[in-house]
Amino acid sequence: MTAPSSGGSAGGSPEKDGFEKDGPVNDGSRSAADRLPGLENRLFDIPEDKFVEVVRLLERVRDHPDVRETFAAIRPRLVQVRPQRRPTLKRILCLPFEDVLEGFGSAEIPPGRIERRVIEPLWRLVAECGDRHQLDQLDRQVQETAPGNRNALRNIGLRLWPMAAQAIRVAVGQTAAGATAAGQAAVGQGGSGQAVRLLHGDEDLRRQVLEVVSFLEIGPIIEALKDALSPKPLPALEPADIAAIEQAAQAAACQSPASVFPLLLVAASRLARPADLLAVMPGLDLGKARREQPAIFARLGGLVVANLEERGARLASRPDSGSGAANATASPEEAVAIAERLVAGVLTTSALIDALAEPAYRERLGSVKAAVRSMVTGTVLDTAPHGILSAVPVPSAGRPLPVDEDAQAAAEDHARALRRCEGLADALGLRQPLKDTLASMERGLLDRAHALLAQYPAAAAEPDGAETAEMALFYALRLLEMVAGPAKADRLREAIMAATGEFAEG
Amino acid sequence: MVRGAVEYAPSTFEERGAAVAFTTPLLSQTRVRRGDRSKLEVLIPSLSQGMGIYVVPWKAVPEMVSMTMHDRYLHDLIVKEEACSPNEIRRATLRAARRGLAGPKAAQAARRALDEDEEQGTLTHYLLILAILKAVGLESPEMLKAGIDTDEGQRLTRQLMTRAAESLRLDATLLYARLAEVAAVAAPVGLARSPRPGRLVRCLVDLTAFRDAMADWARTVPSDAAPVAGFCAEVAQHTIGIGERVLADFHRRLEAIGPLMRDWDGEIVRVRGQSARMAWLLDGWSHITAAWDVMQAEDQRQQAATINELFRILPLLPTQESSRDLMEESRHVKPAHRRSVRMLEDWRTGQFDIDAIRRIEAVKARAP
Repeated sequence: MTAPSSGGSAGGSPEKDGFEKDGPVNDGSRSAADRLPGLENRLFDIPEDKFVEVVRLLERVRDHPDVRETFAAIRPRLVQVRPQRRPTLKRILCLPFEDVLEGFGSAEIPPGRIERRVIEPLWRLVAECGDRHQLDQLDRQVQETAPGNRNALRNIGLRLWPMAAQAIRVAVGQTAAGATAAGQAAVGQGGSGQAVRLLHGDEDLRRQVLEVVSFLEIGPIIEALKDALSPKPLPALEPADIAAIEQAAQAAACQSPASVFPLLLVAASRLARPADLLAVMPGLDLGKARREQPAIFARLGGLVVANLEERGARLASRPDSGSGAANATASPEEAVAIAERLVAGVLTTSALIDALAEPAYRERLGSVKAAVRSMVTGTVLDTAPHGILSAVPVPSAGRPLPVDEDAQAAAEDHARALRRCEGLADALGLRQPLKDTLASMERGLLDRAHALLAQYPAAAAEPDGAETAEMALFYALRLLEMVAGPAKADRLREAIMAATGEFAEG
Repeated sequence: MVRGAVEYAPSTFEERGAAVAFTTPLLSQTRVRRGDRSKLEVLIPSLSQGMGIYVVPWKAVPEMVSMTMHDRYLHDLIVKEEACSPNEIRRATLRAARRGLAGPKAAQAARRALDEDEEQGTLTHYLLILAILKAVGLESPEMLKAGIDTDEGQRLTRQLMTRAAESLRLDATLLYARLAEVAAVAAPVGLARSPRPGRLVRCLVDLTAFRDAMADWARTVPSDAAPVAGFCAEVAQHTIGIGERVLADFHRRLEAIGPLMRDWDGEIVRVRGQSARMAWLLDGWSHITAAWDVMQAEDQRQQAATINELFRILPLLPTQESSRDLMEESRHVKPAHRRSVRMLEDWRTGQFDIDAIRRIEAVKARAP
């Protein structure tokens, strides 16, 4: 058969690789593709608008293997820029579970995630076992739909998702469950054989494919919920958000009580702190799944804990974690932001441990905190002397050295990150190390600022020296203000004003 | 010393005060004015959710509020300069930001703004010279060719200006002095024929974009903040309407440069008044339009929170300046505003919130 065109991979959306199309690639695209090796490196450096344009052009020839490799290589930037992509049937198939797909190298991992390697065999199963006539028809509709027309794409999804769910369930469900009536029919169509071939006997892959089916079966409810819980990630759950989740859960429960869990996974994955959903769960009315609520709560709790553990383990596996070396991947500010989210998740979940009736979680959450503590120590506290103090110029004989404003901006970011650690210190047991670091930074900044002050009269005597020297003093003052607060900084400010005589009377 | 919260219904711009671009969240965009016995005082919106304001003697502010180092410096500078008009406050603000106390980006933006002010002053002066020469029929291609910044160009200019002064029956020195004064008055607004509009005209253009954005947001975003956005658009539109009328008259008077020079005493007062009125009219708006620009990349919830913050500092026109009582109209928006206000609470705790300060500094880097 000629498979429906699958199109390209999504920046931040689901697809990993394009579905191979039969037939040759035209000559023009071949010659373009021949020049591709090496292009991906340049695509990380070009301006955003140019990048979007290149992606648009590459999509036209995306079935070429080199282009597919290029897309795989530039995925981090696709995720970051999120250019509007050409719609494809495969991409529409993935819409209901895109939120629970694993990210690309991100510290954020959705709870109960689906691996991206699932997409290709999943799509092949649908393409080979689904209703071919309907797939061709839907594929034609997709090709006529504008990329930004999300409603039209969803309307296509309304027909695709139930058909795909049925096809997958029939093809995969009976490979382990034995011959059912539907299964026998599928075997008759070659469904079982396809599933065995495409899933390579991989039980984990098969499990995830079946999980995907449960998302597809409530595709329309999930899409409506995504609209309500937008944009992602939601910083906090408002009453309107909780009402939307409850309404969607009731609608899913009407379809099947088992559908509530995947729906709640989508809701959790759209939150900045997935554990927040756990906190509101006891108050949710799940409608026809009311009786299943304790089991759903316990299962979601287990997933949230496992998710926190996994995110913590990812931090711990960083080569620099706890070593004090400069972090190549996360700036101090990013590290604190990650730590804040994880700690909030741990605290929310800890408060629910009694309700979850699972005492072992306490120890597991403790290990998450240990990983976060180690990351914060290595990335923010231990690096502070270099990150903050080195921005203040050391006084030199002759003309004063101007402040490197990029270094100053980086030092300010580091100082802010250090101050933000105050909100984490108690939870992570970092109160004393943080206090020591702040005190050390305060002393270091004061020492350097006083050295600059002592040098000021000589520096001011140089041509244009006064302004350069004053800028260095004011920038040091600003860092001190961030690290030690305005009251302590004010004494230095008064000393600077006295030295420069700027506001002196007369 | 500090009076209790008082009803805030200023009748003149001077009574409303000029907005100061402080970086301390509690003080951001609070207004300074000359109060009793010409002493400077600052108007701080009521710390509760009421409509009143606190009137605080300027010198007492550092004792009442924990201020950033930038604000302490700016506070001292304003005291020293006795600044309280929008242009004076702006100059002081740029000088403070240039020191780096609001961060490197704000320092760079302040340096750029000061350079642009200087360039705009020079350009306006040059265009006024050309205008006066044209007005008396002394246009000189040679002078234009030589350029005003060359020795030859300056010699030709002096020669022609002496003849222009004779034609206007003025002393040449007086003509130069008057042109310099008009240039200083006109530069912030810019001349109608200037290749680069003055900063106040640019602010008016930004305000138009802000009005459209607010109206669009109010219409399309289902949020409690939608009526607040709608009110912001209304106030912007009302300000634009008055601004465009003032601007048209201002440009018309400057176009008639000959009569301006001849009827100097009356005309310069009017032109100066219009330039000052433009500055008062747009005072506080550049922070608002820049704050909204910064929020373009954020989600609608963040935008809603920002709209509520902007509502607090919206430059409502004083009663004598407007046919509409915007103060009264703002009270009708309050209930919707209160429902969705959340971030504002952080602004008013008075605690040192480094993230809030950073947001304010980001706006300052965009609109110094």
